[in-house]
Amino acid sequence: MGHIANLREFSMNIKHVAITACAMSALFASTAFAEIKVGFIGSLSSDTGLSTLRGAEIAIDELNAKGGILGQQITLVTADTGEDVTEGIKAYEFLAETEEVDFIVSGSIDDVSLGWMPRMREFQIPTLDTWTSYIGIIDMLVEDFDSMRPYFMNIASDEALATLYIDFGKDVLKDQMGWNSVFILQEDTAFGGAINGLVTDALAPNAGIDVVDTLVYDVATVDFAPVFSRAVDSGADFIYLISSVNSQVVSSQYVKLQVPLGMTGVNVAALGQEFWEDTGGAGGGISTLSPVPSVGFRLDAASQAFLDTYQARYDSRPSFPHFNGYNAYFGVLQAMAAAEEAGGFNNTTWVDAMEKQDLILEIDGEMWIRYAFWGNDEVEPRTGRTYPHNVRFDITEPYDDGSPSMVVIQWYEDGSNAVVYPAKYATGEFVLPSWVEK
Amino acid sequence: MAQIIIQGLLLSGLYALIAMGFTLIFSVGRVLNLAYGSYLMIGGYVYFYLTQLLGVPKIVGILMATVAGCVVGLLIYRLLVKQLKGDHVAIEISTLILAVVLQAGIVLLFGDSSKILLPIVPGVIHVGGATVTFSILAATIISWVILIGIYIFIRKTHTGRAMQAVSMDAKGAAISGIDSDRINMITWGISGTLGAVAGVFFASYTQLSPSMWVAPLIIAIAVVIVGGIGSIIGTLVVAHIIGFMEILTTAILAPEMRGVFTMLLIIGVLVIRPRGLFGREEL
Amino acid sequence: MDLRWHHFALWAAFIGGMLALPQFVSSGTLRTIIFANYLAIFAISWDILSGRTGYISFGHPFLIGIGAYTTAILTKRFDIAVEYAIPSAVLMTMVGGLILFLPALRIKGSYFALVTLAFMELIYQLVQVIRPDLTGGTRGMSGIPTLTLGARDGFYLSFSLMAAIALSMWLLMRTRLGTALSAIGMNEESVRGSGLSTTRLKLFAFLTGAFVAGLGGAFYVHYLGSIAPRALFDINFLFTILVAALIGGLSTVIGPMLGAFFLTFLLEYLRPYLPGAERYFIYGGIALLLYMYEPKGILHLFSRGLDRWRERVSS
Repeated sequence: MGHIANLREFSMNIKHVAITACAMSALFASTAFAEIKVGFIGSLSSDTGLSTLRGAEIAIDELNAKGGILGQQITLVTADTGEDVTEGIKAYEFLAETEEVDFIVSGSIDDVSLGWMPRMREFQIPTLDTWTSYIGIIDMLVEDFDSMRPYFMNIASDEALATLYIDFGKDVLKDQMGWNSVFILQEDTAFGGAINGLVTDALAPNAGIDVVDTLVYDVATVDFAPVFSRAVDSGADFIYLISSVNSQVVSSQYVKLQVPLGMTGVNVAALGQEFWEDTGGAGGGISTLSPVPSVGFRLDAASQAFLDTYQARYDSRPSFPHFNGYNAYFGVLQAMAAAEEAGGFNNTTWVDAMEKQDLILEIDGEMWIRYAFWGNDEVEPRTGRTYPHNVRFDITEPYDDGSPSMVVIQWYEDGSNAVVYPAKYATGEFVLPSWVEK
Repeated sequence: MAQIIIQGLLLSGLYALIAMGFTLIFSVGRVLNLAYGSYLMIGGYVYFYLTQLLGVPKIVGILMATVAGCVVGLLIYRLLVKQLKGDHVAIEISTLILAVVLQAGIVLLFGDSSKILLPIVPGVIHVGGATVTFSILAATIISWVILIGIYIFIRKTHTGRAMQAVSMDAKGAAISGIDSDRINMITWGISGTLGAVAGVFFASYTQLSPSMWVAPLIIAIAVVIVGGIGSIIGTLVVAHIIGFMEILTTAILAPEMRGVFTMLLIIGVLVIRPRGLFGREEL
Repeated sequence: MDLRWHHFALWAAFIGGMLALPQFVSSGTLRTIIFANYLAIFAISWDILSGRTGYISFGHPFLIGIGAYTTAILTKRFDIAVEYAIPSAVLMTMVGGLILFLPALRIKGSYFALVTLAFMELIYQLVQVIRPDLTGGTRGMSGIPTLTLGARDGFYLSFSLMAAIALSMWLLMRTRLGTALSAIGMNEESVRGSGLSTTRLKLFAFLTGAFVAGLGGAFYVHYLGSIAPRALFDINFLFTILVAALIGGLSTVIGPMLGAFFLTFLLEYLRPYLPGAERYFIYGGIALLLYMYEPKGILHLFSRGLDRWRERVSS
């Protein structure tokens, strides 16, 4: 069944090649009349980039159907980065100087965002990042707020993700599963190092789980058999995986090799609904933390409406938007609303208006998801630091001040998935793969 | 210990298969085909497209992948290598450009996101503390069968001997009536076929992605450089040196240094012993 | 030295025309030219090292990266002023050039190309593993001080740098030294036979190439304001440099410049029509066809056209 959808996507791609030229010239003809221009920066051939792009497209079409903003229609210009850092810089310059866009929505990955960040500082164009969660960027706002003012990030920064994840370690891994020791399997990237540092420092004192050993592996590793052998030999109760690059390889080999230990952690490949298809079904038993709204997440009415529109409109990959698709959709709506209030995208007034945006999505009268931003001086009580212009997250129960920074999702061996933590958001149970002896 | 030996043998078998097609072209034509990694990519994607998107039986998928690899190999020879008439540097550069073009082509057709192949042969077996999937076991066995087959082909058949002759002395072979163009054609075809088969197995180890051609190319380069031009036995031995070195680095030392050692080995051997450890200039 | 007044008139006209350009074109175009300028610098330096001597280096990003990373680390991590950081970066790159030179003493041809490729892969991995607190690891660094603000200033700086490099290399290559370098590319044995030290000549080519690469890399990173291993030590980056030099015309200074401008503009002008991966496909395809069917480069194409035109005029 899965391959039919994929086949359609394949032929779509071929057709896409043929019609792109016509479509683009049509798009260009229409830009001449528009006044408000939104730029998209990201990879046009990755699920991540497309999620953001499509979220923005849907938001803009909705607004245009209602007459646009400030009495004008909005057009969307795309600039492909191909997930290449230098291309990302060129793309940002293209949007800023050739297209002179008013606002940029980004689905860039970490190093690409870092690449164009000096251009954002230079051009001072309001920019919303929806995928990268790198705390280093928020730190840049802390250090030099003035030059970073127009930048907003509406996904919880990775530090907040890791902090809440420690609670999962305590509540589920320790108290529910009775695990006392962990083997950390970390990819050799800055992201891996950062998360590992947080987990190692916090897991033992807060959750009472000892780190038996840590293994750092090269992201181009072909064969994980010796890696898993070392994990099993270490005598730990479970494996904590930190993987953002080529995560499919390590997770599918875990499944194919039927490693007799539970494995959870951060597995970026498992964040999308396509994970099952991409691993050819070798994804059962994998769990990972995910920003919200994740796969398996119970959606409120507004998010569900967005998902329905999305699925009615696009029949190629990704068939479900990643979390950044939702973030882009609501983020673009908020950015445009802020422009309406501020009378444009002026650097001072727009930023002030954007800071005041606050969208609370509820289920049964309870706060479910919140799109708002931390103020410049607001201190998050648990970590004791500020997160200027980062999406307002909540990392303490009962999550009534914002969305939780993350949830833990679980893939089951029948290809289904569910949120398993925190309890408020849970739609399923945390389970071990069938081949692991309890 | 047992598991290191088992895992080392499995990985090395795969590496030997990857390097073999590259060695053949390097020996017979003295040409570095930097688009060699693309054969693996094409083989892997064709297999994926047929078996996982169209639902064709796996064996047909592998066969079609080899056909595709063979055709691409022949096309590269006819359209590119032959045009450049033995200008080695020009061939290296144009095959490098071609590899980048093919990568863009794959992005165009299949997108950027990586894909995982279903196990070719499902199931696992536990041997001496090591877990071995049937897929990888099958890959190693097939790899050995192919390697032995190639060895026999080159030693025993008429065409194989002609290949050997061209690899040792192209001019001399031409004088003694060997049609070196035909021999080159055959070599490029075989190389493409081997690359595509290796690609299916390599992808079943790791993943399919548009940049997957780089890693096997570097493995092939490492094996050929360290092994020295063209010796099949040398290729086999060095594939095992590199395979075991990787497994040992991962199991005992620091796994993140895996690639660093391979690079140091290439540089070291090239500078100290440019002809390779087994530098006989024949097949 | 074979210098004619009209050569200098052409250079002056070219530099004058380019410096007047910001009056006429949009800042978007200027941005594109900035990238073309830097690519031209890299292609020129590759041509000095490889194009002339015939020692094809696949590791040029290795040199550029050393320059870029040195100045990025010095300015960002140690707050050292750019005036000191850039010269240090150039020196470091020349040390890198020496390292690259060592294998050239023993091997050439395909083997040399491969060992340089291995150098690039090696440093790509090392940068991420060793001292990520300095190098920024996989993500690289952002917020490196920039020398200029705005497209216009960036254009003036990058063009001045490129023009200065191009002019001095052009002059250098017209000396006997330059002729001897090109002769190595054609036949190393006969150069040795004529009593010249090929080792010293090659060393000179490697150091000059590294000098230019380091200078270009350092200014480049201070233009970008960010650096990432994946953007520098990458086969795709190598590909653009190589292709610019090759399809422009080897063993010339103008050729790599032409190639760099042609390729940068080709890629940028495809963007509005083909925003996605199609762009790279067509770009690579054109590069391959040009290389296959006009291996002497665009420059040769131009001069042939010019000759034909002259013939027609004179007849």
